[in-house]
Amino acid sequence: MTADAPSKRSTLNARIEKIFDHTSDTRSLFLSLTSGKHLRFAPGQFISITIPLGDETRSRPYSIASDPEDRGPFEICFNRVDGGRGVQWLFDRGVGDTLDFSGPFGSFTIERAPDAELGFIAESTAIAPIRPMLKRALASSPASKIHLIYAASDRDHILYADELDALVRTAPNFSYEPVIVPADQIYDRLFEMAQSRWITADADRTRHFYICGVGKGVIRLRDLLRGAGYERRAVHYEQW
Amino acid sequence: MMAKIRRRCKRRGFEGRRLFRGVVAAHNLNYDLTPMAKLRIQFENGDPEKVIEFDPAKAPFHHDGEPGSILDVMLGHGIHLEHACGGNCACTTCHVIVKQGFDKLGESSEQEEDLLDRAPGLTPTSRLGCQAIIKDPDAEIVVVIPRYTINQVSEAGEE
Repeated sequence: MTADAPSKRSTLNARIEKIFDHTSDTRSLFLSLTSGKHLRFAPGQFISITIPLGDETRSRPYSIASDPEDRGPFEICFNRVDGGRGVQWLFDRGVGDTLDFSGPFGSFTIERAPDAELGFIAESTAIAPIRPMLKRALASSPASKIHLIYAASDRDHILYADELDALVRTAPNFSYEPVIVPADQIYDRLFEMAQSRWITADADRTRHFYICGVGKGVIRLRDLLRGAGYERRAVHYEQW
Repeated sequence: MMAKIRRRCKRRGFEGRRLFRGVVAAHNLNYDLTPMAKLRIQFENGDPEKVIEFDPAKAPFHHDGEPGSILDVMLGHGIHLEHACGGNCACTTCHVIVKQGFDKLGESSEQEEDLLDRAPGLTPTSRLGCQAIIKDPDAEIVVVIPRYTINQVSEAGEE
């Protein structure tokens, strides 16, 4: 059964300007609004793309991986998943094709970094929202220590690696640990690393955290940090 | 049992003794009297109220949100509720305010509560439609779809 459209739903339309394949199963699309206007969003937000599947449509969320300050096309990044018909539809799009979406949405954002040490945790394509959040954090809190732990199943799936290396060189308060670990052990390793770096190393519980990933491992990390004494509102997360 | 059937007939607006007797007769003949939950949806923007009667045991009704959730029930019965994240408990666009039957819904998770913290217009009986599950076949739930939930998409976006 097809659901009625809500009375005031607003859809935007974007054209694919460029396609970049990070790996054989991970792709970025660079999109610009066909209206010629600029998409306004906060670092960390996502758009909800309308995907036709058979005789119905579904809305599926894709995080924006680029900076709101970039005046060019904005970027979404995604990977192929088994049985994922929606993402397959996106993989089948080409340069010049258009797509409908709504948004941006989401409260997993940084408008201005809190005045505290920040810890970011991401895995694979979940770096997408973290990337602009990191940059906003560095821009708005240049004195605070910021550390990123980023895990993937192989080095090719550490996305934006050159950019992150460059950030380490140019931002003295930023540090970053890429972690290569089999896919089924990613969260066990992230759990251990978070525990040793941010819980057993000292008694400081003033840090803020931003975690993005897929599955219940994100919730385990949330519970680890909150259970260790970090404030509930200081542990931000987005679980897909 | 008879009293229960009478209550159900009354709740569903089956007026008159003849119909009541008919339902009782069906029961005595071992006809399946499927329990039906009721979801009444009111719209803050003035759209007409909609009512869904459904058997919670038949969930899922659609493919987004938790099976048997308010979102799942609404979509499966042709009534749209925004769910920008695909019903994955990652946004607040399916925010609803429960006016009746709050205690008949499944409990909220910490993740849902964390998101609701940031929902505009939060009330003590707010829930995310994608997470609030109706399991009780006798539940009668009344929800309001806030005006800003419907408008949220058009308030952001282009500049």
